[in-house]
Amino acid sequence: MQASRARLFKEYKEVQREKSADPDIQLVCDDSNIFKWTALIKGPSETPFDGGVFQLAFAVPEQYPLQPPQVRFLTKIFHPNVHFKTGEICLDILKNAWSPAWTLQSVCRAIIALMAHPEPDSPLNCDSGNLLRSGDVRGYQSMARMYTRLAASPKKG
Amino acid sequence: MESDEDNMVDANDVESVDDDIYSGELEDDYYYSEADGDGGGEDGGGDDEDGPGYDFMAEAADDLVEDSLYWRQQQSYSILKEDDINQRQDDAITRVSTVLSIPKVDATILLRHYNWSVSKVHDEWFADEDGVRSTVGLLDRPAVHVSDVRELTCGICFEFFPRSRIVSAACGHPFCNSCWSGYINASVNDGPGCLALRCPDPSCRAAVGLDMVNMLASDEEKEKYARYLLRSYVEDNRKTKWCPAPGCECAVDFAGGAGNFDVSCLCSYSFCWSCTEEAHRPVDCGTVSKWILKNSAESENMNWILANSKPCPKCKRPIEKNQGCMHMTCTPPCKFEFCWLCLGSWSEHGERTGGFYACNRYEAAKQEGAYDEAEKRREMAKNSLERYTHYYERWASNQTSRQKALADLQQMQNVHLAKLSDIHCTPESQLKFITDAWLQIVECRRVLKWTYAYGFYLPDHEQGKRQFFEYLQGEAESGLERLHQCAEKELQQFLTPEADRPLKEFEEFRTKLAGLTSVTKNYFENLVRALENGLVDVDSNGSSSRAAGSKDTGGSKGRAGRGKANVKTGRNSDD
Ligand SMILES: [Zn+2]
Ligand SMILES: [Zn+2]
Ligand SMILES: [Zn+2]
Ligand SMILES: [Zn+2]
Ligand SMILES: [Zn+2]
Ligand SMILES: [Zn+2]
Repeated sequence: MQASRARLFKEYKEVQREKSADPDIQLVCDDSNIFKWTALIKGPSETPFDGGVFQLAFAVPEQYPLQPPQVRFLTKIFHPNVHFKTGEICLDILKNAWSPAWTLQSVCRAIIALMAHPEPDSPLNCDSGNLLRSGDVRGYQSMARMYTRLAASPKKG
Repeated sequence: MESDEDNMVDANDVESVDDDIYSGELEDDYYYSEADGDGGGEDGGGDDEDGPGYDFMAEAADDLVEDSLYWRQQQSYSILKEDDINQRQDDAITRVSTVLSIPKVDATILLRHYNWSVSKVHDEWFADEDGVRSTVGLLDRPAVHVSDVRELTCGICFEFFPRSRIVSAACGHPFCNSCWSGYINASVNDGPGCLALRCPDPSCRAAVGLDMVNMLASDEEKEKYARYLLRSYVEDNRKTKWCPAPGCECAVDFAGGAGNFDVSCLCSYSFCWSCTEEAHRPVDCGTVSKWILKNSAESENMNWILANSKPCPKCKRPIEKNQGCMHMTCTPPCKFEFCWLCLGSWSEHGERTGGFYACNRYEAAKQEGAYDEAEKRREMAKNSLERYTHYYERWASNQTSRQKALADLQQMQNVHLAKLSDIHCTPESQLKFITDAWLQIVECRRVLKWTYAYGFYLPDHEQGKRQFFEYLQGEAESGLERLHQCAEKELQQFLTPEADRPLKEFEEFRTKLAGLTSVTKNYFENLVRALENGLVDVDSNGSSSRAAGSKDTGGSKGRAGRGKANVKTGRNSDD
């Protein structure tokens, strides 16, 4: 308990200090609970998520960083490795490949990398995975782009 | 002195058993071969017509000396206790460490990665040391160079520490003591994957070995890690397996050898090394797994078979089976004696009538008259279930009988032997023949049980084989019944307090039981070998060749194949 809180506080201070270090990631700690975080990440360029801003929710376990945080998309996203309804993410470093040397920041970077490089063979979203597996990259991209526009575009005005 | 007991059964003893209790040709065959094994010539009358070694038993007995040697050479396994396992593991580690000139910790990591095969480690290492090093994470130089500073940041908690409180694997990635402890303990508690632990840095593959675990883990986790390492030696090693008996902590090291996979653990459990089911000679692993699958598929249909009571075929009162042998006697006043398996009258079970013990044989119900298609199908379905039921019931009964015999053996060793010793003023060491008999019964019940799975899968069209098989099985069944009954029932009369019978009677009992044990043992050993050879000595239309080879004009004797599988069929139906 103490170790995880201390570690999260380190990450918090680092985030405050390096606010502009990574313009694609904006990590925010909950006002009242250091084990709850949210992040806004920018959709990577040259992907159907380009131009979108996606919100992630972190629930950090007490055994952190020996155990990985639970992360899910709050923003709807059409991606083979993200559950369309719950936002659950299938990513090895959030499961068996977790290392305590990872941080919330580096998890965000890994998720951005996953958005650019989907793994259609371990799909949480079968429709999306099937499009890619059948070679219909266009179909996948247009669906993904549509949802980016519908759900992840910053409100104008 | 005790070993003399084993050899006490000579031809004369056997003969006296023969004279006392048995008459009739079937028994002569049994005893004839036994005597023949001892040089022959002393058999009681009536056997001469057989000539030397002309039946299954005698022929097999000739081979016995040779074959037991053969099997012993094949039987290349050893049972390892925990100390032995540790010893072997240490030896392997030391060898690799010496030959490769690497620390023992690294040798352990290598061996575990290559499933504890010393030769595989050597081969891989000398073919491509760099490749092996990078695969298993044995770095020969640090991945990061830590400059000469007084304080370092731990890569997990991000706190600053003096160098003295920072620990690294060979790679040099710095983590503090308490983060290492947390990391290692968590990994150990996650399971045996901890044996392949790597540096916490995600980009680093440096191995974390036993030295760091012992330095940094807490006691409980050190203990667990050591367990996993020991288990890995047994479970990941292609040559070793745990004994599957519950509570047994021995492992079996199997060095190979064709055909025979049965091993006997120190805990007395016998199992098949290949499939780890209970020992199942003479049937092969494939048949066993088919049979077990079949049993579980049919288990609902078969529940009633496991019930322990059946109506007496004569008076219809339910009779409970509380003994191991199949010879049932109804309660007074009925006292009808019948066979548990076929519910036939016991007096018609072969020996007295000179008939053929046949309740092991399945005969499909005769189809009579014209059936329409639907009726025929129903009949076939019924027959196939009936056929399975027949084999299953006999398989299960022998299983139950075996359990009972095991319990009786225990009871014998714990209670009755001491009692017998007192009553008959005989040292317990001289009562070993009783224990031997029970051990033999347990083993024979096991073999007999599996012959029913064998029979179930024996192709129907191989008529000759089937008949020969059923003959052998019938003989085995009736021989074992005799032994079982003798050990179970005849022994009782010597156990009662007023049993101060003349010593002579007890000595006669000894001779009889020891003789039956020895004869049954030989018979079953030969049966096992004959079935394992797939009854090759019988051609599939064996009936004709048997008739042709018969020396006996009466047609009650027959030869099959090349003489090895000679049987006296006792049936003339197809001769
Ligand atoms: Zn490292
Ligand atoms: Zn630390
Ligand atoms: Zn055992
Ligand atoms: Zn097997
Ligand atoms: Zn009755
Ligand atoms: Zn019967």
